[in-house]
Amino acid sequence: MHPLTVSAAFLAISSAFLLYGLSYDTRQLEARVAAQERLAERARSDISVLKAERAHLARPARIEPLARAQGLVPLTDQQVADQAAESTIRTGAIAR
Amino acid sequence: MSGANGRGQGAGSSAGLRTRLVMLGMAALFACVTGQLARLAGTAAPEMTVTLNEPMARTYVRPDILDRGGRLLATDIEMPSLYADPSLVQGIDDAAEQLGAVLPDIDQGELRRSLSDRNRRFIWLRRGVSPKLAQKIHDLGLPGLEFRTELRRAYPLERLAGHVLGSVNIDNKGASGIERAIDETIGVETTIGAPVNAGLPVRLTLDLGVQHALEDELKAAMARYESKGVAGLVMDVHTGEMLASASLPGVDPARNAEGLDPERADKIQGGAYELGSVFKILTVAMALDGGRAKLDTVLDVTKPLTAGPFTIKDLHSSGRPLTVSEVFIHSSNVGSGMLALAEGPERQKAFLEKLGLMREMRTEVGPVAAPQMGSQFGRAEQITVAYGHGIAVAPIQFAAATAAVINGGTAVTPTYFRRGGEASPSAQRVVSEETSRSLCVLLRRNVTESAGTGKRADVPGYRVGGKTGTAEMPGRGGYQEKSVVSSFLAAFPMDAPQYLVMVLIFEPKGTEAAAGEILAGRNAAPTAGRVIGRIAPLLGVKPTNDVAQLD
Repeated sequence: MHPLTVSAAFLAISSAFLLYGLSYDTRQLEARVAAQERLAERARSDISVLKAERAHLARPARIEPLARAQGLVPLTDQQVADQAAESTIRTGAIAR
Repeated sequence: MSGANGRGQGAGSSAGLRTRLVMLGMAALFACVTGQLARLAGTAAPEMTVTLNEPMARTYVRPDILDRGGRLLATDIEMPSLYADPSLVQGIDDAAEQLGAVLPDIDQGELRRSLSDRNRRFIWLRRGVSPKLAQKIHDLGLPGLEFRTELRRAYPLERLAGHVLGSVNIDNKGASGIERAIDETIGVETTIGAPVNAGLPVRLTLDLGVQHALEDELKAAMARYESKGVAGLVMDVHTGEMLASASLPGVDPARNAEGLDPERADKIQGGAYELGSVFKILTVAMALDGGRAKLDTVLDVTKPLTAGPFTIKDLHSSGRPLTVSEVFIHSSNVGSGMLALAEGPERQKAFLEKLGLMREMRTEVGPVAAPQMGSQFGRAEQITVAYGHGIAVAPIQFAAATAAVINGGTAVTPTYFRRGGEASPSAQRVVSEETSRSLCVLLRRNVTESAGTGKRADVPGYRVGGKTGTAEMPGRGGYQEKSVVSSFLAAFPMDAPQYLVMVLIFEPKGTEAAAGEILAGRNAAPTAGRVIGRIAPLLGVKPTNDVAQLD
C-alpha cells in the first residue's frame, strides 16, 4: 500500500479516536453541567422556602408577645428628655 | 506481454478489492448512522410526551413582594402537583380507593370519571400538595400517577394585609389586589415546572410593623365594641403613601374564595359610606379658604336650620352663638350647614371637586368605590353634605382629601407602590397654607380641649389632632339611630403633620368599654389613640413633653 494511503488511514483512525474521546468528554461535561444546574435549582428552591419560613417566623404577631414578655414597650414621652424638641403649635388650651 | 497482462490482471483484481473494501466501509458507516438514528428515536420518546404536556403545566413566575423596609410579604415556592395519565392507570377502582385514603376530600366520582377517560393523557388531580402528602401518594406506588413541580404563591404573614396583597388564581396569575397590579403594570412570565428568574422584587409602601399594630388594635376594638366590622388606614400626608390599610373581618390571600364573601369586603376602598362629622374638616376648610369666615367669626347656631320639610338641629346644643372654631370643636351641624350655605352650592361643589371627592379614584389595589351623591344639590343637600350626610365616599378617598387639607394644602394621590418617597413638586394646590395651618390647630384643639370630641385620642408626647364622625347608617325606612359608622380621622404630630390615621367602626354597640355609648368619641377616637401610641415610635416620630407648650 502506498505510504500516503497508510498515513491517511492512520490519520483517519486516530482522528476518529480523538473525536470519540472529545465527544465522550463533552457528554461527561454536559452531564456535570446538568447536575450542577439541578443543584442550583434545588438550592434556589430551598432559598425561597427558607425565605418564606424566616418571614413566617419573624412575623410581628409572633415577635410582639416575645418582646412584651421581655418587658419591651413602645416609646413614650416619659422616656425622652429633650427640651429643645418641644412642639411649636399653640392651641390655647390645657391638655392635662 | 503475458507478464504485463498478469500484472494488469493483478492490478485490476487489487482495485476491485479496494473498491469492495471501500463499499464495505461505507456500508458499515451507514449501518452505524442508521443504528444511531434508531437509538435516538427510541430514547427521545419520553421527551416527546413531556413536550405535549407542557401547555397544561404552565404557571406564572411572580416577583417577591416586600414592604417598605424590605421585609417579605409574598414569594413563590415550588410545590409538587399531582397528575394522572389515565392510559397508564391500572385498576381504576383500586387506584381511586387508595388515593381517597390519602386525599379524603377528593371527589371520588369525579376521580373515577377522569381516570376512566383513556383518550386523555394528562389530568390534574391535585395542585400544590405538601411535600409530606406527596411522599405518601408516591409511596402508594400507583402507576400512571406522577408529580410535576409547580410554583405556588406563599404568604408567610398569613392574613396580614390580605386585602392589599390580593390573591392569585390556580395558575399563579394575579386575580386581585397588588398581585393583579403586578400582572398589569410589571408583567409576569410563564414557566414550566422549576422557577426561572422572577425579576426584581416589588416594594410596597406598607410598613409591616405599622400594618400589624393597626390590625391588632382594630381586632381588639372590634371585640371591645362588639362591632360588625372595623377598618383603618395610615397614610403619609405629603406623598400619599399608604403605610397600612386594614379591613376586618379580613381575608387570607392564600384562600381567594374568601375575597368573594361580602362581609369580608375591603371597607377602605371597596365601599362608599356616609362618614358624618369628619366631613366638617372639609366644610370648615372651605369656609376659611373662601375668605367668608375666620376662626373667630361668630355664627348664631341657637336656631335650627330648615330646608323644606327638614329641620336640622344640634344633638347637644350649647344654647349660645359659636365661633367657627367652636362649631368645629363642638361638632355643630347647624354651624357647618350655615358655613356651607354662606359659600353657596356652586363653590361647595367646586371645592369637593377640587379635593377629588366627586370623581372616581383608582389605586394599585383596584378601583375605589365611586362617590355617591344625589343629582340635585339644593339647600337641604348643601346642609347635609356639610356634616357628612347625603354624600358617600370611600374612606381612602376621604383620607386623601383630608391629607391635602392638612399637609400645607397640596393634593395627594394614595399609592401602594414605593417610588421616590417624595411629594410630587407639581401637586395641585387645593387650599392655602394658612387654611391648612388653621385646620391643624383646630384638629389639635379638638383633642386637647376638654370640650373636644376627640379628647380620648390623645397620646402624650405625639401631638395628636383629630375629628370624630358618627354617621347613622341608611336602612329600611330611613336612617337607623342605633346602627352607626363611627369614625375618627387623626393626624400627628400636629406641629408638622406627617401621618394620617383613620379608624372606622361599623355598627358598634354601647358596651361597658364605651360607657354605653356608640359615639365615635367613645370608640373610634380611643382606638385611633392606641394605634398612634404604637405606630408613632415605629415611624420615628420623637415624643416630646408637650404640656409646657400649651398656653
